[in-house]
Amino acid sequence: MRRRAWRAGGRRRGGGPRYPGWLALPAAGWYAAFFLVPLGFVVAYSFAALEGYAGIAFAWNLDNYRSLWDPLYGGVFKRTLGLSLFGTAATLLVGFPFAYWLARYAQRKTLLLLLVVVPFWTSFLIRTYAWLIILDPEFPLFRALHSVGVVGADLNLLYTPKAIYIGVVYNYLPLMVLPLYAALERLDWSLVEAAQDLGDPPWRAFRRITLPLALPGVVAGSLLVFIPLTGEYLIPVILGGDKTVFAGNLIAQQFLEAHDWPFGSAIAVVVIAAMTVVLVAFSRIAARQETQGG
Amino acid sequence: MSDQESFWQRGVDRKGFVAAAGLAALAAASGGRLGADAFAAVGRDEAGGELLYYNWADYVNPKTYPAFEKATGIKVKKDFYASNEALLAKLKGGARGYDLAVPTGYMVQILAQEKLLEPIDWSKLPTVKKNINQKFRRLPFDPQDRYSVAKDWGTTGFIYRTDLVKERPTSWREFFTLAKTTYSGKVTVLDGIPEVIGSMAVMLGYSYNTDSKSQLDKVKQELIALKPHLLAITSTEYKQLLISGKAVLGLGWNGDGAAVAAKKPAQYVIGKEGGEFWVDSYVIPVGAKNPDAAHAWIDYVYGPKANAVETEYTYYGSPVKTSLLKGVLAAEILGNPAVFPPPNVLAKLEPNKVSARGTQLRNRIWTEFKAS
Amino acid sequence: MGKRLLKAHALAVYVFLYAPIAVIVVYAFNSGRQVLNWDGFSTKWFGEALRDNTITDAFRNSLLIGAGNALVACVLGTMLALALPRLPRLLRLPLDALVMMTLVTPEIVFGIAALVFFVETGIPLGLKTILIAHVVFNASVVALVVRARFTGMGEELEEASYDLGAGPIATFRQVTLPRLAPAVLAGGLLAFTFSFDDFITSFFVSGAGTTTLPLRIFSALRFGISPVINATAVMILALTLGSVVLAYVVLRRSSGGREGVSAVPGL
Repeated sequence: MRRRAWRAGGRRRGGGPRYPGWLALPAAGWYAAFFLVPLGFVVAYSFAALEGYAGIAFAWNLDNYRSLWDPLYGGVFKRTLGLSLFGTAATLLVGFPFAYWLARYAQRKTLLLLLVVVPFWTSFLIRTYAWLIILDPEFPLFRALHSVGVVGADLNLLYTPKAIYIGVVYNYLPLMVLPLYAALERLDWSLVEAAQDLGDPPWRAFRRITLPLALPGVVAGSLLVFIPLTGEYLIPVILGGDKTVFAGNLIAQQFLEAHDWPFGSAIAVVVIAAMTVVLVAFSRIAARQETQGG
Repeated sequence: MSDQESFWQRGVDRKGFVAAAGLAALAAASGGRLGADAFAAVGRDEAGGELLYYNWADYVNPKTYPAFEKATGIKVKKDFYASNEALLAKLKGGARGYDLAVPTGYMVQILAQEKLLEPIDWSKLPTVKKNINQKFRRLPFDPQDRYSVAKDWGTTGFIYRTDLVKERPTSWREFFTLAKTTYSGKVTVLDGIPEVIGSMAVMLGYSYNTDSKSQLDKVKQELIALKPHLLAITSTEYKQLLISGKAVLGLGWNGDGAAVAAKKPAQYVIGKEGGEFWVDSYVIPVGAKNPDAAHAWIDYVYGPKANAVETEYTYYGSPVKTSLLKGVLAAEILGNPAVFPPPNVLAKLEPNKVSARGTQLRNRIWTEFKAS
Repeated sequence: MGKRLLKAHALAVYVFLYAPIAVIVVYAFNSGRQVLNWDGFSTKWFGEALRDNTITDAFRNSLLIGAGNALVACVLGTMLALALPRLPRLLRLPLDALVMMTLVTPEIVFGIAALVFFVETGIPLGLKTILIAHVVFNASVVALVVRARFTGMGEELEEASYDLGAGPIATFRQVTLPRLAPAVLAGGLLAFTFSFDDFITSFFVSGAGTTTLPLRIFSALRFGISPVINATAVMILALTLGSVVLAYVVLRRSSGGREGVSAVPGL
């Protein structure tokens, strides 16, 4: 009797076995306790003030936000936005042709994809520090490039913003490539070939067929790169000599050096707010795509 | 279905077994150790057995650890921090279980005020009581010797490569001017709020510990003017940078200066205007699992031979009576003015004693300095 | 022509991706300490790394936390993935958003939030707190992987199972779970990997003496790249590669008609 009711329930919904909603509770509870509540604390702290050397006084005022209104911090936020935009654009520019080639032309796809991921099984820290060696003027790379005339003799990328950009593109490339590949891999390339057979120039076929179908991958990859980049602080410390400061550095400094946890929390709240705006915008775009039959 | 299967389906079936085998392999590799061994070592008290030493990196002669283990049977586990502020952040953030730490004097005071320290039991330190130079008892930051025992002492100044720098700077003003002009791009400063701000303040004629907003604002302007000329802001990498020549000028500590000078032609200078005299002290953080082991370590390193071994490695001044060191410590270290500055130099220096208000102002300045 | 250009670009990308790896591997075998001078071939750093108990302890901690959090994340994430599609819209959308948020929130923000949380609630920092924090984003990873598999799976087999009279639990155990298993395992492997390599969150919520491998590496790297750390990285890389090769061999042997094998032309 129970079984038939279950089946009936499933059939009526037309969507197969119905898993009880309470299955979601443990995860939801974990998120609530260990994600939402902590963020709530951060928001609360942002209205507090530093007391003495390391104490917190809950003054419930907007002082921290008022301090943030200074053009100095505005510069930091602008720089952070610039880095996130650059990282997203650069990884897209480098990653898209790569993912395209992998999806369309490559022979041993899974193996090649695995080869993209393998470098990221070494520690993130070591990978990034290794760039300090590669970019060192005494390292063979620069000597070689200089002898061929590609770069000048006194080019020193160590601890410069350019080094940070290289490090960012390096570490975030897979986050862009994987979703792009996932989307492009589903493509029916015969459609593209058919369009070309019918006289479309290659770029037209790309624009009309490939691009729209690849768009979900572009959106996913962009999200996965852009948002975490707004909080990136290790790469600027390691490759940039801790001289160029982004929002993530500001936050880390307040918690590790300056002890002003309330001020650090206020900065974090700004980052969270910006991130939420981006997420909402992206989800609107994604929702519109779905309804347009993408 | 199979042709059009998404990447996830196809990749995942394979990945599934990859995952299974991978985890199995890793589990097998660590085998039984994962079970009993791991959980035994984690979280349980091993009284008499282990010392968890939270320290500045490169601050103990590697030879001392095995020597200590042999003498006492206590094993040493290490963890590292790179600034006093990072130590405070960790302890304030709730890290409990460190047995021994080494903050600088001013931080000892702050930690004590924040109730993050356990009291020292001097009855467990016979060697210290016998050998310590009385100057290092009842220091201003711990007048009753309740929480700390001096580890070593030193100064904050600047270092320059004598073979790569033509000039012979002797004052902070010269250091900062050279940094902004001739050697721009080859200068490092410590990643330390008190040291950098204090040195700049001293150059401008203020006290190292000033907490006057108008004075500190001028310091901030000078710092922001200096920023574009810096190669890096680091307390740990500048030794290497000076040795390799990528930096030729560096704001740093005397021990590091002597270490650089031991490898390449270099000179450590205390700026004529003044500077900082600091004492680093052993403390026992609250929540220590094995305070007896901490006392054992402190007592051990006050033995003259053990202390000489340390001083030879770190190049920082020893708090042990000089008469006891004469026989065991190399003469060129005892006589090295960078390691043991003469009294007239010491007279110009100030210990760090910034007020809470001053610290808050400095923290803000530091944030703006780094962000500029 | 375009095809050759693309291939050249791909090759350049691989060179770019492997440049630091090559540096790390090469210098792990350099007998000299100074990275920029090649002093001859040597394997001594590997021995030193294995003898250094701070490194082996950190490795053990990372394994423990990784395995533990992968387990918890798999359970939580799978349950979530199964229940999510059937929830009413009012619950599903916020939960979806939450899953997304836990994945993209910058680690510095989450790290400090977790620290503040543990401080305020008085939970002592240690292996437990690192594990708890890691599960937050890893449960989402597992949920996403399982859901991707789940939605493409189709319910014909389950319906057939009901037609044959099996109840929901039996169906789940004998039909759904085996088909879901690869995804769960894949999610678990990803969760383990993210946890094993995690630095920022671990940095903020680790307690005294609970050093994970990335934290240990960080404290060494502050002085510049050291050969012992290089050797450690190479060993970890070899271990991971070895596991994958092992798994591949096992998979090839045990396949015989699995849809996965025939459908993957790449290998």
